[in-house]
Amino acid sequence: MADAGPVLVIGIGNPLRHDDAVGLEAVRRMRPLMRAAGPRWRGVAIETCEHEGEPLGLLESWEGAGAVVLVDAIHGESQAGTVRRFDASSTPVPADLAGSTSTHAVGVAEAIELARALGRLPRRIVVYGVAGARFDAGGGLSDEVLAALGPLTEAVLRDARMLASPPQGSAR
Amino acid sequence: MSERTRVLRTDYLARVEGEGAMYVKLDGREVVDVRLRIYEPPRFFEALLRGRAFTEAPDITARICGICPVAYQMSAVRAMEDACGVRIDEGPLRDLRRLIYCGEWIESHSLHVYMLHAPDFLGFASAVEMAREHREIVEQGLQMKKAGNAVIALVGGREVHPINVRVGGFYRVPTRGELRSLVDPLHAARETALETVRWAATLPFPDVDRTQELVALSDPDGEYPVDRGTIRSDAGLDITPADFDAHIVEEQVEHSNALHARLRERGTYLTGPLARFALSSGALAPTAREAALEAGLDAVSNPFRSILVRAVELVQACEEALSIIDSYEEPDAPFVEVTPRNAVGYGATEAPRGLLYHRYEIAEDGAILDARIVPPTSQNQLAIEEDLRAVVEDGVDLPDEKLSLRCEQAIRNHDPCISCATHFLKLTVDRG
Repeated sequence: MADAGPVLVIGIGNPLRHDDAVGLEAVRRMRPLMRAAGPRWRGVAIETCEHEGEPLGLLESWEGAGAVVLVDAIHGESQAGTVRRFDASSTPVPADLAGSTSTHAVGVAEAIELARALGRLPRRIVVYGVAGARFDAGGGLSDEVLAALGPLTEAVLRDARMLASPPQGSAR
Repeated sequence: MSERTRVLRTDYLARVEGEGAMYVKLDGREVVDVRLRIYEPPRFFEALLRGRAFTEAPDITARICGICPVAYQMSAVRAMEDACGVRIDEGPLRDLRRLIYCGEWIESHSLHVYMLHAPDFLGFASAVEMAREHREIVEQGLQMKKAGNAVIALVGGREVHPINVRVGGFYRVPTRGELRSLVDPLHAARETALETVRWAATLPFPDVDRTQELVALSDPDGEYPVDRGTIRSDAGLDITPADFDAHIVEEQVEHSNALHARLRERGTYLTGPLARFALSSGALAPTAREAALEAGLDAVSNPFRSILVRAVELVQACEEALSIIDSYEEPDAPFVEVTPRNAVGYGATEAPRGLLYHRYEIAEDGAILDARIVPPTSQNQLAIEEDLRAVVEDGVDLPDEKLSLRCEQAIRNHDPCISCATHFLKLTVDRG
C-alpha cells in the first residue's frame, strides 16, 4: 500500500492547446467516479490535482504523497488516442514516452529523474502518456483523444486504487 | 562543402525555455554564418488580441509564457492604464504589483541559476546529473523557487498564469496577515540568495569580453528597475516607452520566425540582468550591493558572469519583497476604475530576461484595435548571435564538441525564453 500518504493523481497539460489538456480532462472525469465510491479507498485517500506550467513544480505537488499517477499528453509517432502506461518507480521513463509536448527547459521525465536523484520521488509513480492529434492553440480534444478518454480514466482509477491497496499476502 | 568548411550543429539546444536550433558555419578560421533560430508566437497573440476588450489583455498575454506571465500582465496593465489616462505610481496597489513581480524574478532566476546555468560551470549535461553530486545546490534552487511561487500564488491567485491581476489593480488584495506568511520563506530565500552570490563568484568563467549597448528601464525615483521607468542605455539612449517604436525597429530574417529588434541608430543592443545591473547597480538594496561588491562585480562585460548578476538580483528581489510586506497597508479598494477611451497606450517593464514592451490602440468602447508586443528574447537575438560569433572566433582551435558546448553556453548566458515562442531551437556548426 502507499506509504504514509495519499495516492495522488496528477493531470498535466495546457487547456488552451487542444489535446495537451487530456491529463487535465482525465482527472476532471475521475472526480465524480471517486465521489461515488467515497473519499477513501481501503483506508487510503485518493486525491487529484491539475498541473499547468513548468514540470519542476511537480516536485512540490507530490510532496507527502505515498504514490502518484501522472497523466500527460505525448507528441510522437503513435496514432492519436494511443495510451501508454509506464511504471517509473525504479526505472527512468523511456525516451519515446518522455517526448511529451513540454517546451519547458525541464520536462516531465527530467522532473521525475531530478526527484529520484534528490530522494524526493514517491515510493510508486506510474506515468500515463496519451498520444495527441493536435497541439495548436485552442480548446477541446480531438475525436481520437476523446474516444480514448473513457477507458483511460477507468485505467487511471484502477491504478490509483491498486496503489492504495495492500499487496496480496501482505500482513498489514 | 569544401574541406575548409566546418559546421557546428546542435539540433536540440538543452536547458533553454522552449526548443530551437543553432547553426554556425566556418570557412577555415573565418566565421561565415551564425544563426539562432527561434519561432516566436507574439505575432499570433497580437492578432488574437484585436477586437478583444482592453480588460482582457493581462489574462490573454499572461498565456504567452508559463515562466514570466507576470511580466506580460504588468506591461499590459501599464499600457492600458496609459491609454486611459490612469497612473498607479504609488501606494499599495503599485507595491503589490512590484511584490508579485519580485516573486516572478525569484521563481524565474532561481530556475535559471540553479537548474539551467549552473550545470554549464560545474561540467554536467543536466540538472539531473548535477543533482546526483551536488544535491545541495539543486535543493537550494527548489527552495528559492518555491518561495517565489508562494509570492505569486498569494498575490496572483495561483502560481502559473495568475488570475488576480486586472487593469487598475487587482480583483482582490491580500490582508497584512496573509502577506506575513511570506516573511519566513523570503528571509530563508534571501539567505540562500546571499550564499548563492558567494558560490557563483567562485565558478570558473571563460575569459570573454564583450562590448554591447546595454538597454534597461531607469526608475524615476531611483529604485532598481522593475515595473516602470524610462528606457536608457549606456550609450546615451534616453526615451519614454512611447518613443520605443521611433528608436527600435524589428526586422524579419529568413532563419527565424521571431523578428530581430535593433536600435535604429546603432543596431545591436542587449537587455536583461547585465543591462539592469550596469545602469542601476547604485539602486540595489544595501545587502545586494554589498554582496555584489564582495563578489567582485562591477562593470559586467563578460556575459558568462550573468549567473552572478542573477544571483545578486535574487537578493534584491527578496529584499524588495520583504520591504513591501513590512510597510504594506491594505488599500481602500482593490482597484481603481479605468474608463476606456480611443487612445494609444505604452507599457514597458523589466521581465526577468529583460525589457518587455507593449503598445495597444483601443477604441472608445475599449475594444483593442491594434497590439504590439516585443519580448526581451526578440530584442536579444542579435546580441546572442554576436556573442556566438565572438565565442567561435576565440575558440576556433577547440574541437567541435567543446566549441559546440561553448556556443550553447553563450546562448544560455542570456536565458532565452523560447517557450514565449513555440517549438524550435536546433544547433548546427558548419566548418567549411
